[in-house]
Amino acid sequence: MTGGIPKTIADLPTSKARYIGERVPRVEDQMLVSGRAEFIDNATLPGMLHGAILRSPFAHARIVRIDTSRARALPGVFAVVTGEDARATTAPLGTIPDGWGVHCLAVDKARFVGEPVAAVAATSRALAEDALEQIDVEYEPLPAVVDAFEALKPGAPLLLEEKGSNVVLHKQFRWGDVDAAFRDADRVVREKLRWNRLGANPMETFGVIAQWDPSEATLTCRGSYQTQGYMALGISAVLQIPAHKVRVISHPHGGSFGGKGGMRGTCIAAMLSRQADGRPVKWIEDRMEYLVGGAGQAWDRHYEAALALRSDGRFTGLHVTLLDDLGGTPEGAGAISAAKPLASFTGCYTIPVAAYDLTLVLTNKLPTGPYRGMGPPPHNWVLEHLVDTAARELGIDPGEIRRRNFIAKDRFPYEIATGNEYDSGDYEAALDRVLEMSDYRRLREEQAQARAEGRLVGIGLVSTIEPGVFDWNAYAIVGVPMTGVPEGATVSIDLFGKIVVKVGFSLEGQGQYTVAAQLLADYFGVELGDVRVVAQDSLSAPPHFGPGGSRLGVALTGAVLGAAERVKAKLVRAAAHLLQADPGVVVLRDGRLEVPGVPGAEMTVAQVAAVMLTRSDLLPPDLEPSPEATCVWTAPGRTPADADGRAKSYLTAANACHIVRVEIDAETGQVTIDGYWIADDCGVRLNPANVEGMIQGGVAQGVGAALLEEYVYDADGQPLTSTFADYLLPTISDVPIPETAAIVTPSPFTPLGAKGVGEGAMHTTPAAVLCAINDALAPLGVQATETPASPHRLWKLLESARSHAKSNR
Amino acid sequence: MTSPFSDEKPSSAARRIRMTVNGVAVEAVAEPRTTLVDFLRGDLGLGGTHVGCEHGVCGACTILLEGRTVRACLMLAVQADGARLTTIEGLGRDGVLHPIQQAFVDEHGLQCGFCTPGFLLSVHELLEQNPDPSDEEIRDFLGGHLCRCTGYKTILRSVRLAARRLRETKAAVAAHAEASS
Repeated sequence: MTGGIPKTIADLPTSKARYIGERVPRVEDQMLVSGRAEFIDNATLPGMLHGAILRSPFAHARIVRIDTSRARALPGVFAVVTGEDARATTAPLGTIPDGWGVHCLAVDKARFVGEPVAAVAATSRALAEDALEQIDVEYEPLPAVVDAFEALKPGAPLLLEEKGSNVVLHKQFRWGDVDAAFRDADRVVREKLRWNRLGANPMETFGVIAQWDPSEATLTCRGSYQTQGYMALGISAVLQIPAHKVRVISHPHGGSFGGKGGMRGTCIAAMLSRQADGRPVKWIEDRMEYLVGGAGQAWDRHYEAALALRSDGRFTGLHVTLLDDLGGTPEGAGAISAAKPLASFTGCYTIPVAAYDLTLVLTNKLPTGPYRGMGPPPHNWVLEHLVDTAARELGIDPGEIRRRNFIAKDRFPYEIATGNEYDSGDYEAALDRVLEMSDYRRLREEQAQARAEGRLVGIGLVSTIEPGVFDWNAYAIVGVPMTGVPEGATVSIDLFGKIVVKVGFSLEGQGQYTVAAQLLADYFGVELGDVRVVAQDSLSAPPHFGPGGSRLGVALTGAVLGAAERVKAKLVRAAAHLLQADPGVVVLRDGRLEVPGVPGAEMTVAQVAAVMLTRSDLLPPDLEPSPEATCVWTAPGRTPADADGRAKSYLTAANACHIVRVEIDAETGQVTIDGYWIADDCGVRLNPANVEGMIQGGVAQGVGAALLEEYVYDADGQPLTSTFADYLLPTISDVPIPETAAIVTPSPFTPLGAKGVGEGAMHTTPAAVLCAINDALAPLGVQATETPASPHRLWKLLESARSHAKSNR
Repeated sequence: MTSPFSDEKPSSAARRIRMTVNGVAVEAVAEPRTTLVDFLRGDLGLGGTHVGCEHGVCGACTILLEGRTVRACLMLAVQADGARLTTIEGLGRDGVLHPIQQAFVDEHGLQCGFCTPGFLLSVHELLEQNPDPSDEEIRDFLGGHLCRCTGYKTILRSVRLAARRLRETKAAVAAHAEASS
């Protein structure tokens, strides 16, 4: 609902917004810098036991026999569970698409290294780990399939034998007459590109305390959950407990980026608690477990893509073929990441027709899950790479070819070939700004000079869309049937005029509590510190999803302002009665309910709230004595998807234009980023400092994706990246600090005109850095077509170019 | 937060250790295999020292030992016998933030806050040694800390702000001392 929700900051009932739109310090921070936040591993319950999980050392193996008798006999061990217990008491894990689930503990066979095989609860973690060593598992190793193309072949080892194939989904989409577009094109550019596995790696891993109540047959799970209500549904389905008997309590957590996971760990901890007669069981994933067996791997992709164009550089069609390696099972929503690109398939460009040949396949690796951006970051790289290739072949500047194809600012709302509608934008404005900031002409001159000196200097210029305010309907092609994502908030005013807002999510880092406090402080004319944000658990909160899909800032604004409007309506009725005025003439302004033009006819919000709560005799008889209201917001105007996945899905389309300058060391292949400029348009910025934090955080993860991060498996499916010494996260010395500018094109569809920005620069930075690298390599006739562009990959390319040059001499 | 060895009877190898933590003398029995971070979190209830990787790369568990930073996941509790330690709980007191903490708040130097206590203690050591560090010196010093949220820009700004405020305070105190002598 958006009925009465203010459309702009100027529409708020305040003469001047003091907080919203400003760089307000975060209300979350006092607790965090003091080390006092209750992250899940800081929580303790009476009688609590500690869990540890035994994991498969093989990528693919029959489990012949498990003997847990020695572990059970250890003093202090209270529960031991295996796949047999899971088979007896739980349903397979939910998957997308549906019907490919396995149990939370491996039954009969293990499908990836790190898959849980057995688990123990004991009086300490150390004792639980000691007990794991006393569990004897007899494995019969099976041939593993690690490569996605091998997994497609007849006769390949099968992950789920009963399915008869490793192919989870194979569909071809044609949005418009793509064949004609390619047949009639003046030119077609094609490329094969490989995006290797990488993932979220929040600094805190997943953790849970599960407590089964044998008397009530209920389950309470406290943990570092990104989306507690959604998790509760999944837990209910797996553990076969009605959803209203599962309570999930999200604790403040140390980042997520989609990669917190926790379904297996939660279900295993719950099984242990049940076997231990209801003693709470804590399980904290360690980093090695996270890297090999957690929710931290995403986007293992093989692309073939082609762009059709006219000789003047206008794009006429896009064809993307994606083979996406989901790993051992589709339990981690990796398939959604393959569907989400439909929300911005053709980027910033007027490409009238598009095709997508999508294959999702299983291999003996960790199941892939969500990661910031949820799929478009690799897709954007593919598209922008093709655009650069086209520019190079046609001799058009990369900025100019993009400009020729941009959706013009007067064409919004604009429906793209894949059916989503972009709300607003001014892509040329962002391009112009970043060209100016970077002094682009000078950059090119300096590049020419550097090339003349034999140096490998490259400039990347890319322009991308960040789909914001996710909707389930965007994922229809992989079997998600819903439309709409409800997010609720309850706003209450106490008899002192202080405000409490209750929400269904915990701290994760984006500063959403601050945004809620900013909104309400301005709406009711109080100080920021007069607003308190309280997290409620999955059973207590109004319908909610929480952070995800660049959505919560917008959705929370809708819910909070919607609830505030409803509270205001009650206050107005009470005040009108008290002031003996017509409710139609009473207004809320700057924290007072007043009758404009009537001196003295005014009361403060606190006075009215206090009367409502303490003097029912003074109220109109039919007015509920409650200055409290709930609003549950979902994006307006969303449409269910048609058979080809076309839908109005993501509500907003933010835009960013990045320019990056890199230099590659010709001897070592090391890339240095020595210039970076960003113009970003995410509509109205509710807290510019928060927005800049999202953008810079996305730059860091994007640089990691482009240059450093990669999960590596050997030919037998053994993970070779099981520590932070192997899986490289960007450090303070690796991340550039771009010069940034804000373009503001308000969204016409959202409260206050804000757009989703939480995934931010992750959509743009990988493509920008990789395009810069390829610009540097272009004169050598080689291109980096695989991520990350690590020194050893670039060195090999440089060597091949050098030997090629020699042999041509 | 509990010790990995809570509820277990001490083994014959357990050792009695004494240390001063955030100015308070403590005495406890520790198993030889207990890491310092598990001891601080579990036995002493100091949950602000976070565990991010348990293999010494991420820096989240950084504390001060005799004023110098150490990774509490790479030390055993028994190795800290007799030492003077400072954890994040000892940096600000009773809701009053240390200037370094305040600078991180003011400059949005954190998002999720999980890595933050470790950063703050390293910055404390840096600014003790070098009250006016350059950006390169800050980067060098903080190169062993991972932050997955911020992209480090606001961390750099926070350190600069903290350094400036601490220098200003020191100068004001010196001027005051001079005026009153």
